[in-house]
Parts: sequence; C-alpha cells; structure tokens
Amino acid sequence: MNPDFIKTICPYCGVGCGLVLKVEDGKVVGTYPDKEHPVSRGTLCIKGWSAHQFVHHADRLKTPLVKRGDTFEKISWDDAIALAVEKLQSTAARYGGDAIGGLSSAKCTNEENYLFQKMIRMAFKTNNVDHCARLCHAPTAVGMGQTTGSGAMTNSISDLAGAECILIIGSNAAESHPIIMGEIYKAADRGAAVVVVDPRKTAVAENAQVHLRINPGTDIPLLCGMMRHIIDEGLHNEKFIHDRMEGFDELKTFLRSWPVERAAKECGIAEEEIRRVAEMYARAKDAAAVYCMGITQHACGTANVHAVCDLAMLCGQIGKTFSGVYPLRGQNNVQGACDMGALPNVYPGYQSVSVPAVKEKFEKAWGRELSAKPGLTVTEMIGSAGKDIRALYIMAENPALSDPDVNHVLESLTKLDFLIVQDIFLTETAKFADLVLPAVCFAEKTGTYTNTERRFQLLRKAVEPPGEAKGDFEIICLLANALGLDFPYKHPGEVMEEIAKLVPEYGGIRFDRLEKAGLQWPCPDLKHEGTRFLHDVQFTRGKGLFIVPAYTPPFETPDGEYPYWLSTGRMFAHYHTGTMTRRSAFLSREMEGAYAEMHPEDAIKAGIREGDRIRITSRRGSIVTAARITKRVARGSVFAPFHFTEARANILTNPVLDPISKIPEFKACAARIEKEPHEKHER
Amino acid sequence: MLEKVKEIARTVLAEKQADGVLGLMKGQWDIIQPHIFESPVEVDALVIEPKWLLAKMAMTVLRSSREGYRLAVVVRGCDERALTELVKRNQIEKERLVTIGIACTAEQAQACICDRPYPQKLDCGDAVAGVDPFSIESVKELLAGDGPARMEKWANILKRCIKCYGCRNSCPICVCVPCKLEDQVWVETGVIPAEVLSYHLIRAFHLSDTCVACGACQEACPVNIPLMALQLSMREMLRETYGYDAGLDPERNSPILYDLCKEPAAGQALPDWVNSLRKDDES
Repeated sequence: MNPDFIKTICPYCGVGCGLVLKVEDGKVVGTYPDKEHPVSRGTLCIKGWSAHQFVHHADRLKTPLVKRGDTFEKISWDDAIALAVEKLQSTAARYGGDAIGGLSSAKCTNEENYLFQKMIRMAFKTNNVDHCARLCHAPTAVGMGQTTGSGAMTNSISDLAGAECILIIGSNAAESHPIIMGEIYKAADRGAAVVVVDPRKTAVAENAQVHLRINPGTDIPLLCGMMRHIIDEGLHNEKFIHDRMEGFDELKTFLRSWPVERAAKECGIAEEEIRRVAEMYARAKDAAAVYCMGITQHACGTANVHAVCDLAMLCGQIGKTFSGVYPLRGQNNVQGACDMGALPNVYPGYQSVSVPAVKEKFEKAWGRELSAKPGLTVTEMIGSAGKDIRALYIMAENPALSDPDVNHVLESLTKLDFLIVQDIFLTETAKFADLVLPAVCFAEKTGTYTNTERRFQLLRKAVEPPGEAKGDFEIICLLANALGLDFPYKHPGEVMEEIAKLVPEYGGIRFDRLEKAGLQWPCPDLKHEGTRFLHDVQFTRGKGLFIVPAYTPPFETPDGEYPYWLSTGRMFAHYHTGTMTRRSAFLSREMEGAYAEMHPEDAIKAGIREGDRIRITSRRGSIVTAARITKRVARGSVFAPFHFTEARANILTNPVLDPISKIPEFKACAARIEKEPHEKHER
Repeated sequence: MLEKVKEIARTVLAEKQADGVLGLMKGQWDIIQPHIFESPVEVDALVIEPKWLLAKMAMTVLRSSREGYRLAVVVRGCDERALTELVKRNQIEKERLVTIGIACTAEQAQACICDRPYPQKLDCGDAVAGVDPFSIESVKELLAGDGPARMEKWANILKRCIKCYGCRNSCPICVCVPCKLEDQVWVETGVIPAEVLSYHLIRAFHLSDTCVACGACQEACPVNIPLMALQLSMREMLRETYGYDAGLDPERNSPILYDLCKEPAAGQALPDWVNSLRKDDES
C-alpha cells in the first residue's frame, strides 16, 4: 500500500497552519508543511511538525467507560447513551434545566460546537453553555465587542508584515504563535519598529527594538500614559475621531488623571521611554497592536482590552490594511467556538439570548422554547457544582489543569451528581467522570475550524478512529436524538448550511467554498470572497466607541509571606494541558517535565541552583517543580508553565474574576518559593 | 512542458519502468499536494508547480514499500542532486529509482538563488542559466564585514530561531539516526533560541559535503532565517578546495570522508566567516 497525503489543519493554536498528513496502512505516520497554505506557506512550528505523534497513542480511549466504585468499566454505546439520557433528564426533572451545564470545546469543530450549544439550549431550556474562551479571550469578545462591535482580530495575519510599527503587549508569540512571529519579523526586516511590553524578557522581547519591562498588571497605566502623551503632542487622528468615533471627550477628560509621570511610576518605566514608544506608534503610517494573555488574564482584563482599542482608535489605526488590533487566539478553534455560540449569553453569531426578537428567531428555527436568561460561565459552573449545577457535560476540556485554583476545581467536580466527559484520552478531568465517551481527534474527522484571523478552514479526515471511538459530531447527534430532539445530520456540511441561514455574517460559508484556502468572515453571501479586515467604512457597531479603561491593580500583590509575583503561561514545545503534546515523543523529548523560572539573584538568596526541586506555595496550595534559573523573569518574579500534571501551576493561581468577562487572574498572584529537601537515595 | 512530463509519466507506468510516479497532483477544488500516481489515467491530474521537494518523501516511500517496488520521481535539479546523495549514502537503492527531470524557470532560479536550476538528466523543458549566489546583494551583505561584525550580525539573526526543527526536517539529506541536534550534550532542550554554535553550526558543518543547495531549510523556516547564505558558503568552500559539488557525480564520494590525506593547509578548509562565529574566548 502506498501512502496517501491528506491536507488538513493543525490541531494546536489559533494560527491554523496547513498540514499535509502522510497516511500509511490506515495510520498517520508523518506531518509535512503545506506549501500552499495561505497563512503558514510551507512552514510549521515544533508542535505542527509533531502533530501526528499522539494520534495512534496507546492511551487513546477506545470504548465508553462507566465508573463503578473507584474503577472504570467498559460499556456499550447503547448503554452509555441511555445512561447519559437517564441521568441528564432525571436531573433536569428534579432540579430544573438550569441544573445542567455544558462545556463545549475550542478543540472541536464549528459544526460540533454549534450542535453542542443547540442541544444544551434545546433539550434543557438553559443557556449554561460555555468553553475555555472564558479562560483566554473572554475579555476580547466583550471588550472589542463594546468598542468596535466585533470581538475578533480586525485584520489578517499577513497584514502584520506590512506594518510600520508593531506594539506587542503580553504576547510571547515566538513560543505561542510562532508562525505569526514570522510575519512580525518580516515587518522588522523592512524597517518596522517592534515594541514589546512584557514583564518577562521573552524571545519576542529579545528580538524587539524596544522592550518595556512593566510591573505585572500595569498595562492600563502604560497605555494611558501613552495616550495622554499622544494627545498632549497633538499626534492623535482628529479626523478619524471626529468622523468615526464617539466618547472622545470622556476619554480625554479621564486621561487628565494619567500624566506620563504617574504612568511611569506605576509601571516602573522611564517617562522618556513611554513618550518615545507613544510617538513611535502614533507617528507610524500603519501601526498594529498585537496582544494576548498578558492583557486578558487579569481581573481588569476587559478594561485592558478597552485600553488597547482606545489607543488604536485614537490614532486611527483601525479599518485599513497593515494596521488594526490583533488578539492572538489560543486554541485552534476558539474563535469558532465563540462564533458558534458556545457562550452563555449569545447564540451563534453573537446574537444575544436576552433580546426577544433574537430568541424568537432561534425558537422558530429550532422548534423549541428557549431560555431568555443568560447562563453560567465556565468558572461559575465549576464554582456552583453540587449546588446550582448538578450535572455537567464536558466535551474535550480539561478544567482539572486549565482552571484557576485547581484544588477547588477537583473538589467541585466530586460534588456533581453526574459528570460526563467526552475526550480522546482519559484526562485529569475525565478521571472524575461518571461516564467517559471516547471521541476522535483532528486527523479522524471532517469539519471546520476558524483561525484567529476569522478564517473558516476545512479539516479532512485522514484515518479511522481507534476502537469504538466516535466523532464528537456523531456522539452529539446520538445523544440529542435520544433526548428527544431531531438532529438528522449526516454530514457536517449540512450543519454549516443551517448555521449560514441563522448568522448573516456566515451566510456565504459552504464546505465546497472552503476547499482551497478557506474564507474569512464576514462572508454574507455565496458570491462574497471573505473579509481581509474589519471596520472598513464604518465600525461593526456603527461608530467606534472610546471606553474609559477602569484600572484595578492585581488583586493579590507580593507581601512578606508571599514575596514573589507568580505568572503562568505556555512554553514552545507543549500545548495547554499537555494531553496531546506530552504524548508526542518529539515534544516530550524537548521538555520532559515541569519547571518554573526564577531570577538568578533570587535563586542565590534562596540557595537554589539550576534543576533543584523547589516548592512554590500560594494562598491556594503548593506544587513541587524544578528550578530554572534565568533572567527571562524579573527579580522577584516566578513563571510556571501550566502544561504539567505533576506540578499543576493552576493549583496556585487566583480564581478572582474580571467582573465583566469573568476571566480569572492567571497572570498575577503572590507566591513564596522554598527549596525542597533532596530526595534520599540509599545505595 | 507539463504535457511532456505527463507523457513521460504515462509511459513510465505503462511500460512498467516504475510501479508509481511521485509528483504533485492537482485534485478536486484545485488542491495541490504530493501524490503517487499508479495508473496512466491518473496522470491527467499531475502538475509541476509550485516547487515542492520530493526527495525525502521518495526515500520514505521506498523504505516502507514492498520489496522491489520501483518509484519514479518528478525532479528538479535540486531534487535530483538530493536523490543522488541519498543513493550514495545507501538510503535509496539505485535500481528502484527512476527520475523524470524537469528544468526550473528563470524566475524560480532567481527566487532560489540557484546556480544549477536543472537536473543532469533533463527530460522536459530547457535549462536556464543559473544565478551566482555570491553576486546577490543580500547574500553579500550577510557575508560581509570582519569577524566581530559578522558575529554580531549572525547572532542577531539566529536568535530569532524558535527551534521548530523545520530546517532539519525538511532537509532532503538530513537522515542521521540519532540526530546530533537531539543530543542534549550539544543542544539544550526546552529553551529557545537554539544555540548558534551547537545547533546552527553543527547543522551547517554536518551538511557541508551533502548540501545540494535546494533551499528547503530556508523555505521551511517560519522566522525567515537566511540559512542558504550559511549553507552556500560551506558548499562553496568544498568547491574551491576540492572541486567537489554534492549531488553531481554519483561515483565520487565526499572529499571530507575519503580524501583526508589530501586535505589542504589548515584553516583553508573552513570558510573564514564561519570560523568567525566562534565565541570570543576561543579565538
């Protein structure tokens, strides 16, 4: 048998690179970059090159499992579906539909997310459906939605290469979105100024013209100081503000309280530096603002997003090529999961559940009465487990590693009457499940992902799933039909047609139009070629809106007992909770176990050497990990990647939430570090 | 030219010169991807653009195919040179390989700064003149300056490396198992960028006598590191010193492996500018 080559899309981050999978005897044996892909153009990062390695791993779930006592037993699909239906229906009957919650998945396709939220909303008349966007870009969805009318990246990835100035705030794109980093370097090679704002000296910062190493959580002071200077110098775009914006007077008045001197003091940056950077951005013909978790994962995450948008709009750097605001989305399909309405307050296409006309439209289309009450978020569902939420259905999410204050998450999971987890491996979360449903991975399914530049892209099935595992698409249909709904779908393409009818922006999306290079929404009709950048003639919301960014410092700050700033994040060889990357040989070779970064001076003081076992403790709990001594982190700071189950960084993180978007403050809490005694070895 | 390639491919299959033809296929919705054509009818969908190196794929296909399976490959000049090197290094059995050689366009040669944009066995198209890489401004600039200046320039370029291993993975003749770049003695794991000396220079030296100047490494680099400038000057040194061009003569072995006693005077074998990338304390 000769190998087949199947083009598909990478399952890791939101860049959405093109892969060519090499398939031999029904197994994916290799990954090559797709030379023709519009974004990645024949390049991949280390994770992309290794994308096939976990697919046929021995740990893959192959049959449904039910928990009896402390162990799992295999059961048939018929019994599994019957059990799920019985438990969900009896819970809903006893406590009401709002006692059911569903966590959809940014790893799954658009069609699966659409069906998942449709099933939860129809079957239980609740809006308790959410997904991990809550933990990454919820502030973007809300914040950019308020300022521009669309919570999505305004421009295309390729636009970055043409920018004259690129401001990168709180993004380690070199490790987390490497292919986008390439576009930024292209701009730098053409003479663009690259300015990086980050408390850590990341690889991005190392390669930038200017690195502003701000104090943790002081993004708003910095941006306000920049804006104040821009206005003082008359560098703002008056015509743009006059023609296209509202709320300028309020912002201008507010900025009176942020002279550069105050900003400088707050963020620990010299005044001249703030002025210089403000002018670099404001004077550039085309300036781009790139941001990521460093902006969003704060208790003032939404306000941080407001501040970034304010800066861009103040300078008229939105609504044209090579400029704009670039939130870099984390998961391969987190954009799509949001677009498809896997959120507690909106239906697909960000149509609000509490607007009566919208609710009626969906009731008519779906043929069921729906709830007008916005549902609970991820963090709220987990928090109220055993109380308001009695049964939880988790599709391909791993809150036991990804959510803040993990010890509390684990305790919450045990309080549920019934937990269903649908995944490809027995994740840390699945171990708590009463029922485990074996699903399929990216190489085994057809459907669409939407990348960070709003591009719908087609996944192509390369191989058959292991054992009795079924596609998430098929499982949802089975379950929905058993719950008494009519889900007659045979192919994801049919679902996309239904979505296109309900969401005007996706009206022109059809599977056969996505084959070659995908389509960027908005794409309202079948003739439309997709949209390279948003807010062209007018903003999605009409006029752009300046919102005064309400600054709140991090909730927890270092003190005598917990003297270090702790922040969490990713490293280049692993992805999120490591379910896939830690089962990929080449990636676990690159980084086998957990570590935390600390500054050499701190290490010397504490008597800690490279590789020593250290205990990091916060008010929530403690982990033991290996010390990595590096000047990448500032003095008094410690950085822990959250990939590692043996030292879950999220045991430490603070579950305090941004009041608007409900994102937890992953990027700043207080911690202490102690050297662990050596393990004794007897000879 | 495309029609001629198809004609040859059909003949190769019809006359059983090979069991399959590895080339590019333009399938449904104009998607282009590598494919193994096994019947003359299928060949209608064969295309030759874009440049997509197939040598390494050919090697892996032959490794996993049944005994005696013969594969024809549509090759450009660089692909042919890579296959020649793979045969020389016992990675491919010569008897199982057929090539259908095609010439590159002048534009392609320019884009690749290729000095030999055609295969030795040219079946289709007319050979165009090559480009002297060392006459290109960007290459000259990368190699210009004294030691410290070059060191600074290259350190700045190479610190962009995100360690995707794409340069190694895409290289048609990087086939060592185990790979030196996976040896923790040389390359620290878990951090970026990869070290200049122990990653990039090991790679460059390791390929000095096999690099066929295909440019696959540079094309696969997500952060636009001009790896060809590094590689081409290694290649040039072997050409100057030994008159050796990897991939051209199937009968001639690498002078580094076989002509040690004829080695030139010390210092000459290494391009001076590469030498300059040493750490200060070693100079």
